[in-house]
Amino acid sequence: MAEATTLRTAPLDRARVLQWLQTYGVYAGVAALLVVNVVITPNFLTAENFRTQAVQVAPVIIVALGMALVIGTEGVDLSVGAVMALAASVTALYLGYGLLPALLAVALFAAAVGLANGALVALVGVQPIVATLALMVGGRGIALVLLPQLEDLRNPALASLGSGDVLGVPYLILIAAVLALLVAFTVRRTTFGRQLLAIGDSRPAAQLAGLPVRRVLIIVYVVCALLAAVAGVLATARLQASDPTSLGNLMELSAITAVVVGGTPLTGGRVNIAGTVAGAVLIQLLTATLIKHDLPPSWTQIAQAVVIVAAVYAARGRGRR
Amino acid sequence: MQRTTHRPRLLARPGLVALAAAVALTASACAKSEDDASKDTKSPAAAGAEQKVVTPKPGSKSCTVDAYGGEKLDLKGATVGFSQSEKEANPFRIAETQSIKDEAKKRGVKLLTANAQSQFSKQISDVQDLLAKGADLLVIAPLNSDGWDPVLQAAAAKKVPIVTIDRKINATACKDYVSFIASDFVEQGRRAADQMIEATGGKGEVAILLGAAGNNVTTERTKGFKERVAEKAPDLKVVFEQTGDFAREKGQQVTEQLIQSKPGIKGIYAENDEMGLGAVAALKGAGKKAGDIKIVTVDGTRNAVQGIVDGWISGVIESNPRFGPLAFQTLDTFTKGEAVPQDIIIQDGAYSTDNAKSEIGKAY
Repeated sequence: MAEATTLRTAPLDRARVLQWLQTYGVYAGVAALLVVNVVITPNFLTAENFRTQAVQVAPVIIVALGMALVIGTEGVDLSVGAVMALAASVTALYLGYGLLPALLAVALFAAAVGLANGALVALVGVQPIVATLALMVGGRGIALVLLPQLEDLRNPALASLGSGDVLGVPYLILIAAVLALLVAFTVRRTTFGRQLLAIGDSRPAAQLAGLPVRRVLIIVYVVCALLAAVAGVLATARLQASDPTSLGNLMELSAITAVVVGGTPLTGGRVNIAGTVAGAVLIQLLTATLIKHDLPPSWTQIAQAVVIVAAVYAARGRGRR
Repeated sequence: MQRTTHRPRLLARPGLVALAAAVALTASACAKSEDDASKDTKSPAAAGAEQKVVTPKPGSKSCTVDAYGGEKLDLKGATVGFSQSEKEANPFRIAETQSIKDEAKKRGVKLLTANAQSQFSKQISDVQDLLAKGADLLVIAPLNSDGWDPVLQAAAAKKVPIVTIDRKINATACKDYVSFIASDFVEQGRRAADQMIEATGGKGEVAILLGAAGNNVTTERTKGFKERVAEKAPDLKVVFEQTGDFAREKGQQVTEQLIQSKPGIKGIYAENDEMGLGAVAALKGAGKKAGDIKIVTVDGTRNAVQGIVDGWISGVIESNPRFGPLAFQTLDTFTKGEAVPQDIIIQDGAYSTDNAKSEIGKAY
């Protein structure tokens, strides 16, 4: 490092800018969008508006948390959207017993999917993208077998989970916040978190060091599936209808985008939870801005692509260092 | 090392399969949804809900067996193949397939069915399968309009008459296929505009929740709505057009953004019922009262018509999915040697506050 400084100053500055961008770029992006919206969007600075944005982004954040953990192990989980759909149909199927038994059933199903993912990756040695691709297709298939069409739900407990609040803060936001704190704590302060990152850094090294690689990997995929199921139940509660056909469509891509834009490298070994949350918020604000100004939907896709390319560019700079 | 990685591999696969099978079995065995008891109340073939024909107008083109080059046959002993485009996961497709099946049963016709699950290549092979299995007549609900040449050639070689429903095939009528039966989506848009003008008094700002992009249903329902608004109520301004992808959740999310950025919005035109119901969920969530914002939708599903009864939706334009009777009647007439029209446009009903309660039984 010291040598580089004396020899070539300009490239280092660029590297430094890129590193800064990778760590703080997503926050700068969120701040910039907020400022722009305050200036150009009518009725933006209202509690109602922030509430809407937060409620809409909460499920994405929850899924992205699990995704961040999986990506931290140098994996990826494409089945999260399917797990959301599965959670939706299982909720509808078991709601007759009451909300809690239904939630338990959802957790069982999600854990089974996570176990299958984890076993394929950790025990069988299938590449994560292929293993979870199988359940991405199969999971939605099972969801549709269980509940072939949209069903309206009238359970009052479920309804209040979706639209109730504590002191004006909706449950959805509280749940997302608590889960984000929990996951951040796990990654930073627990042995499990360290083991996870070590595996992501180098699986052979972790194995040689005697870490319980398989167990950690399986747990990570189970946790990711459970988080996706939570998001699926919350989205269902908010809609007050179970819609396995379209719920969670392309959610895996939104979650991966949030994680990558938030500064977590796809190469594993590092997880940035705060960045992931900010990444999800950034995409939400971007979409909201374009919708509120009634720009064509294709613009939203292009804008998202630009943000992803910018994030990957910043990550590339860091990877080279 | 090899042994340790090998053993779990052998164990894991049967284990996984067994686990999946066990989960799937137990899941449906002890499931209990909210309304298990009331599930049987829906009757798919509600009385008085059959499709009625608007055309043929006098002078419209028709088609006969002789012109088509087929042979006369008796529909009763014939085998009819039905190729459905999308999986039966939404009320429209469910009602459509059911109607075909019911009518085949009623007429004592042997019916072969296939579902392309929204994959066009599968639909092509589906239809080829139906032909190979000995279908004498074909009813096709096409996923796409283009790319049908291989199927049409195969059908022509066997002289199998084809009737397409709800979407058109880009080919020559009475040469490649016999007739096309469908709703007029532009007209649906116009009638939705009429309902919106009536509900809002023809003044103020309205929004459109568009269907999936690049779909002819979306473009035509939008075109008809805008045309009629421009012509009849120039004071009604369309200030917001965003896609809700024909899905309830997306309709809810977009409406939530809409009512915050444009609090003065008077009405929402949803291009299908699901998005309209999503809009209702959004309005409820925002603490609005029924009728604060007028919602007009297209499709005529039971949930949406119930929405009119509850006061949240002002009007629903029907898009009638019950193609069975008309499709079989067309085939019957045709195979007897009589002339049938090439384009059969069906007359769709409408639900408003006046008739929603009494005619909810007709909704699907």
